[in-house]
Amino acid sequence: MSTVLQARDLTRYYDVAQGFLKPTAQVKALNGVSFELQAGKTLAVVGESGCGKSTLARQLTLIEAPTSGSLLLEGQDAAKAGKAELKAMRTKVQMVFQNPYASLNPRQKIGTQLGEPLEINTSLSAREREERVRAMMARVGLRPEHYYRYPHMFSGGQRQRIAIARAMMLNPKIVVADEPTSALDVSIQAQVLNLFMDLQEEFNTAYVFISHNLAVVEHVADELMVMYLGRAVEVGAKEKIYSRPLHPYTQALLSATPSIHPEDRRIKIKIQGELPSPLNPPSGCAFHKRCPFADARCQQEVPELRALDERMIACHHAENINS
Amino acid sequence: MSLLEIKNLSVEFGSEKNPFRAVEGLDLSVNQGEIVGIVGESGSGKSVTMMAMMGLLEGQGRIVADTLQFDGKNLLTISARARRKIVGKDIAMIFQDPMTSLNPSYTVGYQIMEVLKIHQGLRGAALKQRALELMEMVEIPAAASRLAAYPHQLSGGMSQRVVIAMAIACNPKLLIADEPTTALDVTIQAQIMELLVSLQKSQNMALIMITHDLAVVAEVAHKVAVMYAGQVAEMAKVPGIFRTPTHPYTEALLKSIPEHSKGAHRLSTLPGIVPGQYDRPSGCLLSPRCPYVQDKCKAQRPGLTAIEGGVVRCHYPITAKEA
Repeated sequence: MSTVLQARDLTRYYDVAQGFLKPTAQVKALNGVSFELQAGKTLAVVGESGCGKSTLARQLTLIEAPTSGSLLLEGQDAAKAGKAELKAMRTKVQMVFQNPYASLNPRQKIGTQLGEPLEINTSLSAREREERVRAMMARVGLRPEHYYRYPHMFSGGQRQRIAIARAMMLNPKIVVADEPTSALDVSIQAQVLNLFMDLQEEFNTAYVFISHNLAVVEHVADELMVMYLGRAVEVGAKEKIYSRPLHPYTQALLSATPSIHPEDRRIKIKIQGELPSPLNPPSGCAFHKRCPFADARCQQEVPELRALDERMIACHHAENINS
Repeated sequence: MSLLEIKNLSVEFGSEKNPFRAVEGLDLSVNQGEIVGIVGESGSGKSVTMMAMMGLLEGQGRIVADTLQFDGKNLLTISARARRKIVGKDIAMIFQDPMTSLNPSYTVGYQIMEVLKIHQGLRGAALKQRALELMEMVEIPAAASRLAAYPHQLSGGMSQRVVIAMAIACNPKLLIADEPTTALDVTIQAQIMELLVSLQKSQNMALIMITHDLAVVAEVAHKVAVMYAGQVAEMAKVPGIFRTPTHPYTEALLKSIPEHSKGAHRLSTLPGIVPGQYDRPSGCLLSPRCPYVQDKCKAQRPGLTAIEGGVVRCHYPITAKEA
């Protein structure tokens, strides 16, 4: 198995103007995230709005350079790559966005939109491009006549299929999917998730699957990373975390997910309040203000990620809580 | 006598000659203190039903019904002036996106007080006192200072709490929540659901929850109506409907939830989408997508038949087939 993506201690800070003559503040949107992704596997990134999921996606797709840390794509360091190399690297990472109504160009026909990545990045002739586009359209379940249609003529589920087809056109090593099904109905969501799984099997693509829906994540993920305020709080194999979540935040997320059979739920933790502002993060463990187990140590000391029970976890009291 | 009684409601759009029936022959009764879930995919007529009931379709749709009664008053023949006294006071509605249902140019305090001024004639200190009380009822921290906040200064969860405060301002008898948590994170979703249910209990309101997420209603509702293409496909009690669904559509919706296919590689799906204006089949509306379709289904539309604890619209309901 080959590693396609390595992130080491990625950080991304944004400067925020506070007003005239006031010093600019710094938002630590991403605060030291590391992981590895194998070909054909799926890493799911889970967390609430504002936890840094989408900032992470921007780093991985090479849209923005990280403030510090390194990103290795098939062993090649993005920070050291020149302009031409960077362009070649970008073809290996593609993205599928949340809202297919906004991510497709309303003025271009589907065939043109799907052919565009090929036109820019390959030297194929117009005829070859059309062939490739039509093959991919058939692959994702679109009919041949759709080639000449505009995005507004499609339903939400079909548009997401088009967005997925566009991401797959260059046969990327990695697809970053940012909440790809949260705008869709459950029945359509199931169709789109199946398509993701089939394409992964066929092309051996690695996915970074960003979502806040833990039921969806459980279905698609191999590895899971739970994020809170720019940091990973629990990272490990999906089976391990779902069968026995150790971090109180993971436990809270799992117990907040609605279920068809709520009586089967084992862990019941309610957390109060909302994600604190990243402009003014709490001292110590970022989660301590909402954590039912927090004590004085949590208020002062930032917990580091450490290995426990076949996973990585950032909590001072993981052993005590779960014993 | 139930609080809300709808019998044979149809809503038509478009020309008289070639109308599109968004809702067709809908029966629904809601008792005081009852939580009813309305579930279905986009385009199944969930929201249109509620809009028709509240008289929000004036001039666009044609509403026909045998009975449309709320709290002993006939909503079909009522004057617009009299309806305005009911809507917003005895019937209140919460919409999906709290960011768009609040007016961005007024403070949230002003918007809550507006409801109280119009429907209860409160003025001065009593008005402010009641607004504060409502903000505290929906558990907004530092309520007194938040009265002067504009919607953009609040998070999604907080805005939704403000919308709920406005909805319950006049102690409504019926609260309609149209996808109240779809735009929110899971932890916030759990908090809002808990708030809605506790308010429903303390005020003894009836609550109609419109959603496409079966899991959300599974946890709280007493009764669920599953809608498909403008008709009720199945209406039954919780948890029976989730344990032994009778209609193939209910079964398919349940199966398409990732929670259902734990461990499986593919999710089971219902192919296709809800038929639109021009492609409604002549027989059973689900027949092109139904896995159990027979010749009779393609020729003849099924009516509603009584089952244990509810009704189902199918020629070959699932339990009958197995028995």
